[in-house]
Formats: sequence, structure tokens, C-alpha cells
Amino acid sequence: MAWRFLLAALLGGVCYLDRTAACQLMLHRPLVVATLMGAVFGNMAAGAQVGVVLELIYLARLPVGASIPPDDTGAAVFGGSAAAIASSSLGLDAGSFTALLLLSVFVAEAGKAADRFVRKVNVRIARITAESVDRGDMQAVEHGLLAGLTLFAVTGMVLALVFSAAGVAVSKELLPRFGPASRGNFAVLLPALPLLGAASVYSCSRTERTAAVFYLTMAAVFGGTVLFRWSV
Amino acid sequence: MTTPALAMRFRSAVWRRQFLLQGCWNYEGMQNVGFAYAILPALRHFYANRPEEALKAVKRHLEFFNTQPAMGALILGASVRLEERVAAGEADPRAIGTFKVGLMGSLGAIGDSFFWGALRPMASVVGALLALLHPLLGIAAMLLLYNGVHLTIRRRGFDAGMEGPESVVGWLKRAALNVRTEDRKLLAAILAGGYAGVFAGRFFVQGGGASHALASFLLAAAAVRLFAVLFRKAVSPSEILSFLLFVGVLILWR
Repeated sequence: MAWRFLLAALLGGVCYLDRTAACQLMLHRPLVVATLMGAVFGNMAAGAQVGVVLELIYLARLPVGASIPPDDTGAAVFGGSAAAIASSSLGLDAGSFTALLLLSVFVAEAGKAADRFVRKVNVRIARITAESVDRGDMQAVEHGLLAGLTLFAVTGMVLALVFSAAGVAVSKELLPRFGPASRGNFAVLLPALPLLGAASVYSCSRTERTAAVFYLTMAAVFGGTVLFRWSV
Repeated sequence: MTTPALAMRFRSAVWRRQFLLQGCWNYEGMQNVGFAYAILPALRHFYANRPEEALKAVKRHLEFFNTQPAMGALILGASVRLEERVAAGEADPRAIGTFKVGLMGSLGAIGDSFFWGALRPMASVVGALLALLHPLLGIAAMLLLYNGVHLTIRRRGFDAGMEGPESVVGWLKRAALNVRTEDRKLLAAILAGGYAGVFAGRFFVQGGGASHALASFLLAAAAVRLFAVLFRKAVSPSEILSFLLFVGVLILWR
């Protein structure tokens, strides 16, 4: 198990770097991260299921200016690892799946707080950089950037380690405490989660025609899905 | 005073370094260290054997700077060209600060709306829908769709900036990002409607006739509407999830 956590920390560190500090190639998106974590902890498909739902939920919060959105990368690390472990022990039933998605909200908020902390520490790095340049050391700019990058990377690795450990602990220790019937009751909330994701996209895609095209497509696809289910 | 034209290797170094624009993002100067880091190879080239002026130039770029990271490439390219003119004595150094401050806000707004508000949601929904068929297919589609546009705009923006600050407005007009934003938002809404329809069809209809299906659809549509209204009232997704978790705990308690 130790090598799995090590791999999760390394991959998580890369994904966290992509989130803010480097490139922004979308390697930090929940769909990618949860699938990766699922693969690391033994069930890629279970991780991807979590990623499909988490991918859209936080889109309504844009990383504009100084505002920091909830850490959906961390939520995906937690959800992906937890789903993979749950699927190999008690099975990823709808109730466990719902519980994992809802519990990931704590991780998303904790990751956001960590992100804020890193950016505050970076203020100090930027000041030291400026002071060194004032003293005539031009290379301080490169050192300052390297220090900032290292801080983002190390924080990302620590967060990925902690969140994947939390996911494994929840799947191994918390979920089995509830019987199948109790977990089944929890599944009542599951339909709300993908709809929350769709609403998230809807709210950041507002144009004059958004409402019409959204609900028409939803009706058409819903009708098609129902007809398909009735026919088989 | 003449300045050597920027050699390809310095230009390439600046291009590569702009991917680390947010490497030392901080609450005070925001992307200032990243911007200074990115433009440093060009400054070293322009002010070779003039260390005092080189230092002044670096300090200029350690001033506050913040924009959408992909749009930063455009400002970076134009700043390189302006620095070249300053080093040659053809322009006032203050013009660089004025140019950056004048452009970063408006380009940030355009970039935020296009990348975060339109392109990313569209790519995410495509990825999520295709991941229902196979996770790797969804991931590949999302990354290709987003990065195909993202890297093209970065590259073309940087090239346009390198032609000089005068080319920036012309490039922005040709890029027509406002029209592209509208199109992608509409496409994202259509795809999100499909996503909601797929899951509503999966979860809500467990038997029953047409009236049951209609009621299920209306319930799902009302839920989407409610969540969208909450988002508009600045309720965060975390708050909604926390509320649902609270409801779940109450159900367990019962």
C-alpha cells in the first residue's frame, strides 16, 4: 500500500502544479485526477465514476482575480481513492458513492484553505525577490520563481497524500460501520448531484438562449433515455 | 543606440517561461514574479553589458501584474517588443508600465469569460459525457478540446504581441473572442442539458407510465432551476453539498 500512496502523492503533486503554478493544461480537473487515483488504488472505472460527477459541480466558481475556488482537485483525490478502495471491499453501491461525493466537500474546503496559505507565503517570497533585485541580484527572480513553484509542488504532494489517505480511511473504516440498508437510504440524494453539476455549467453559460437550448436538450435526451429503458 | 534583434533562442525561452506565469502567484504582486521571470531572457539580451539598466528593467516587471494566464502571452510578447524599443532609446520606459496596466484588466476579463466561463465548461461536459463510454476517451476528448484552443491562442497571441503593441488590437479583433465565447457557452449549455437528461433518465424513472416519466422530468428540471438560482445568489457549490450532507445525516439518524 505504501507505494500506492507514494505514487498518489507524486501524481497529485503534478496535478496540483497544473492547477495554478504551471501550464493550466487541465491535468488538474476532477475527471483526470479521480481516474488517476482510481487506477493507483486498484479500480480506474470506480475513480472515473466519481470524476464524471465532480467534474462539473465546482465549475460555477471561476478562478477570477484573487478569488480561490474550492479545491476540486483535492475532492477528486479523495473521491477517486475512496471509490477504488470501496469497490474492492464492500462494493461501490449507490449509497457509498453518494456519501463519498458529499464528504469530499470538506476536502475541497481544506484544499482551498491550503491554497490561500501558499499564496500568503508567496507574498514573502516575492518581497524577498524584490529586495534582492534592489541589491543588484537579477538572478533572484529565477530563485524566487523556483521557490514559489517548489512551495506549490510540495503542498500539492502533501495534500494529495493526506486526501488519498483520508479517502482510504473513510472507505475502510467509516463506510463499513453503516449497514447496506443505511447506505441505501443515503442513495436518495444521488440524483441531485449530477443535476447540481449541470446547473453549475448552466449558470456559467448564461446567454439569451441558454435556458431554451438547455431545457430542450434535457427533455430530448431524457425522453430518449426513458424510451431506451422501456424498450429493453 | 542600437539593440541586437531578439534571437530565436531568447524568443523561445520567453515563450517556454510564460507557462510559469503563476509560479509564484501571491496576494501582493500576483503574477509579478512570474512575468519578470518570463521576460528575463529578453532583458538579459537587450541590456547585455548594461547591468544598471537591466536591473531597472527587471524592477519594472516586478510591479503588480495580473491577467488571465493564457492571455498573458499576448502582453508578454508586446512587452518584449516594447523593451527592445526602450533599450534602443526609441521609447520611454514608462510606456511599458502604462501598456501593461492598460491591457491586463480588459484582457483578463475577456480571457476569464472565454477560458473559464465558456471553453472549460464545454470541454468538461464533453469529457464527462464521453467518460460514460470509457474514462480514457472522456479524458482524451476533454484535454484535446481544451488545449487545442488554449495552446493555439497562447501561440498566436504571443506572436501577435511580438509584432509590436500596435498589432494587439488588430489581433484581438481578428480572434473575435467575444463571438467565440457566446458560441461555446451555447454549446456548453446544450451539452449540459444532455448531461442532465442522461442522469435524470437514469435515476428518476424506475418504472411507471408516461405521467410518472413526465413528473420525473419536471422534478429534475425544477432541481436544476433551483440550483442555478442559488448559484446566481452567490451560494457556493460547497454550501449546497454541505446542506445535502446534512440532509443525508438526518436520513441516517431517522
